[in-house]
Amino acid sequence: MLSSLPEAIGILLSLEGLLVLVLGTVLGIVLGAMPGIGSTVAVAIVLPFTLTMSQAPAIILLLAVYAGSVYGGSIAAILINTPGTPQSAATCLDGYPMAQRGEAGLALGWATVASVVGGLVSAVVLIFAAPQLAAVALEFGPIETFALILLGMTCIVSVSTGSVVKGLTAGMIGIFLSTVGGDPILGEMRFTFGNWQLFAGFNLLAVVIGVFALSEVFMRASVKVSTVSELVAFNGIVLPSWQMWKGRLRNLGKSVAIGNVIGVLPGTGAATAAFISYAEGRRSSPNREGFGKGEPDGIVSSEAANNAVTGGALVPTMALGIPGDAITAVMLATLTLHGITPGPKLVEDNPTLIATIFAGFFVINLLLLPLGMLLSRVAAPILRVREAFMMTAIVILCAVGIYFVRGNPFDLLVMGGAGVVGFLLRRQGVPMAPLVIGMVLGPTLELTLRQGLILKDGNFLAFFSGHPIALVLALAAIGALSLPLIRAMRKGSAA
Amino acid sequence: MQRIANERVIVQLGLLIVAVALYASTFAQSFSASDLAQSPMFFPRIILTLWIGLSVIALVQAIRKDDRATPIASWTRIGIILVAALAYTNVIGSEGFFLPSVVFALICLPAFGIRNPLLVGLFAILVPGALLLLFNHTLGMPLPTSRFSYLF
Amino acid sequence: MKLGYLTSAALAVVITAGSAAAQDFPQRPINLIAPFNAGGGTDLLLRGLAPHFAEAIGGDAFVSNMAGGSGTVAASALQGQRPDGYQMAYMSVTVSTIQPQIKNVPYGLDSWTPICSIAASPTMLFVSADSPYQSMEDVVAAVKADPGKLVYGSSGPGAITHLTMVSAFAGLGIIDDMKHLPFQGSGPAIKELTAGNIQFFGDTELLMKRGDFRPLMVFNNARLENFPDVPTATEVGIEAPLNELYLWGGLFAPAGLEPEVTATLESACETAVASDGFQEFAANSGTIINYRGAEEFDAFYRAQYEANAGLIEAAGL
Repeated sequence: MLSSLPEAIGILLSLEGLLVLVLGTVLGIVLGAMPGIGSTVAVAIVLPFTLTMSQAPAIILLLAVYAGSVYGGSIAAILINTPGTPQSAATCLDGYPMAQRGEAGLALGWATVASVVGGLVSAVVLIFAAPQLAAVALEFGPIETFALILLGMTCIVSVSTGSVVKGLTAGMIGIFLSTVGGDPILGEMRFTFGNWQLFAGFNLLAVVIGVFALSEVFMRASVKVSTVSELVAFNGIVLPSWQMWKGRLRNLGKSVAIGNVIGVLPGTGAATAAFISYAEGRRSSPNREGFGKGEPDGIVSSEAANNAVTGGALVPTMALGIPGDAITAVMLATLTLHGITPGPKLVEDNPTLIATIFAGFFVINLLLLPLGMLLSRVAAPILRVREAFMMTAIVILCAVGIYFVRGNPFDLLVMGGAGVVGFLLRRQGVPMAPLVIGMVLGPTLELTLRQGLILKDGNFLAFFSGHPIALVLALAAIGALSLPLIRAMRKGSAA
Repeated sequence: MQRIANERVIVQLGLLIVAVALYASTFAQSFSASDLAQSPMFFPRIILTLWIGLSVIALVQAIRKDDRATPIASWTRIGIILVAALAYTNVIGSEGFFLPSVVFALICLPAFGIRNPLLVGLFAILVPGALLLLFNHTLGMPLPTSRFSYLF
Repeated sequence: MKLGYLTSAALAVVITAGSAAAQDFPQRPINLIAPFNAGGGTDLLLRGLAPHFAEAIGGDAFVSNMAGGSGTVAASALQGQRPDGYQMAYMSVTVSTIQPQIKNVPYGLDSWTPICSIAASPTMLFVSADSPYQSMEDVVAAVKADPGKLVYGSSGPGAITHLTMVSAFAGLGIIDDMKHLPFQGSGPAIKELTAGNIQFFGDTELLMKRGDFRPLMVFNNARLENFPDVPTATEVGIEAPLNELYLWGGLFAPAGLEPEVTATLESACETAVASDGFQEFAANSGTIINYRGAEEFDAFYRAQYEANAGLIEAAGL
């Protein structure tokens, strides 16, 4: 495949290649930055166009829109506290406090650099180590995945700003919401109370947009009195200087690694990576005391990891023919449409195509920096609009975005309900990020737990004998839970 | 201030009641699985038990502490916006995207304090109109339309 | 005055739309509903068909997605719509004949006007290429030698992949000695088959080619052209109704469609399926075309509905 790189670069530098790269990335950033509209809708919009294109440009367009929207999601998360997707939810935790301090441009600067580094490293890893990493993915069976998700769940404690009890409650509500609908093993209906709309369960995005974006509108309606205030002081991205990175590079490297590894494992995804990375940053960063109050390391942890996932997710997709998430599944279907069967021989049989895709992915991540800075300058005046207009537009955009996720007006009701409940809970200091973690990880936690019980004939303890990876992950989960307790006790005895 | 001090207790009590009611509902349905761990209710019951336990702790904390939620600046405004947003998300399915969006903007903007009728009117027509033109008439992925015409 | 004029104009549109004679059909764009997410197999098939369908009917057609509940949400929503011919869904064997018999959905056998069937592929049972099993006899012997040990996967309870496994192992009388491990979709199941956590999986030929797999039998009425050495289920000794299983799909409109409208849609579907553009699309994407007209499809659909009732009982769903 590496020998096909020159040819691949030729394809990318052709007029069509450049056009697709730039337009796709711009479109992705713009759509991702709109509150309520995320990767799913962005990909749905460009999908019809890819049908008439040839193979490589079609996949590059999908990738550009995907990577652009993941990055764009951080803009809305930082500036207006309304993440368009679950994967930017962790970015809000420190990004928005920074924006409120008047450092919106710098917060976006951290997010941009972290995103670009995360994406670029994952592209390099993808180009040089995809087959080796794909072998790692195969080591992760149901039991290993269960242990990993368990570790992911411990993030609930780290992202519970304020009260841990309230954070855990929110996490349980999230997990519970994910159990509504068909049982994953037997298919029997749970908590649907005879309503067929609930057979498909509560849509994750409808709940996320409700509890973050819509409830943010309600929060502002309940407190602000001023009608002329600008939304946020913002004149464009300010890149952090080299000195500011001092003492933060370790955290950046760790976050990129976490994003890459989690991206490779099918069925986990960018939101999981962002939260696990955020939790790890909060545990080990030298600046951990400031987490949740506008600490750049928090933004870096989340953004470097969620962008690194986009490259990681391509590993099992291209090396094994197994999609890592919903977006890579669309890419595989697009390949099939062009007469290419995804599978273990994909790279062998189509070296030029794969080299073009991988090199294109690298270029897309390079483009994020200049395009992000350019677009933020263009967008800055829009953000100077009065809060009233922005809030109304957010509600309308959220309705549009959620409608297109599944084409179902019922999801709009769910979003409205989630908005009101989110508003009530946020007023009581219940954090919403744990609810999102619960809802993202809940289905995999239950599925893998019960799959493991089937494989081990109902013996839970057998999960950890003969599964060294699972044992290590489970011990890490126990450690992650007990560490804050031990720290708290030490503090208590010292005082 | 008694009323606000109670808001926390009421919300926590509400969370507890919902969890207990859901837990009770798990016994109302019967399932075919013979084995306990493979019952569809096995996992939800664990989660609901944790939810109930945590709510009890949070309720006790809420009663003991005298924390207050941020006071509501204007009950009229938040009331109007809550009702308008809920009604809006409810009627898009049956009345289409465009008309409810216009009405919602006409209600929401004045509630947020925009008094200039020209600005309100322009925004209410142009923003939903642009989205309608983009999705229904350019991209060919239509938003719901009204009962009057498939065009909007 | 202007408002009054607009209102009456809008009313006129409503009235003409209501009384439009069937020969004027279609007067507005036709919505082809994919009951799954944008970018999935069903969605892409419809997007490949839509332009040719629009051309054949001399109007406009667009694809919309309404995902959720293994396709039942879209079917349930469509069932309550007016049968005017402007809304049709592409429904598979599972959405139209299996889900309504295992879930309490608001639609059933008589909720539809079938328009045309478009595609059908037989399913196959396959194992990993490094698996010790060379034939179904090997499998039966292995299961009997060590009951309760071997695991078969599926893409979810009640999916066609699940029914393929049930047909195979219930048909051979060994299903009670095996374990079922459902996944969320075929992708993860194929991964676990490669990794060795499950030993058997069943899907269409297109999916089987995704990995290094070896087919052991095919649920077709004859051996497949591409796999002349793979026996059919009947040859292995599986009796009807478990011996043939097809992942088929076609266009359905709500019940009570006017016969003239049905005929218009049916002939547009036939022209579209036969068009060079769609044939090329099908060849590229590995779709096996299986066209049936409205009447024939209706009979086929009803027969499948009955036949799958037996399958569902065998599966214990």
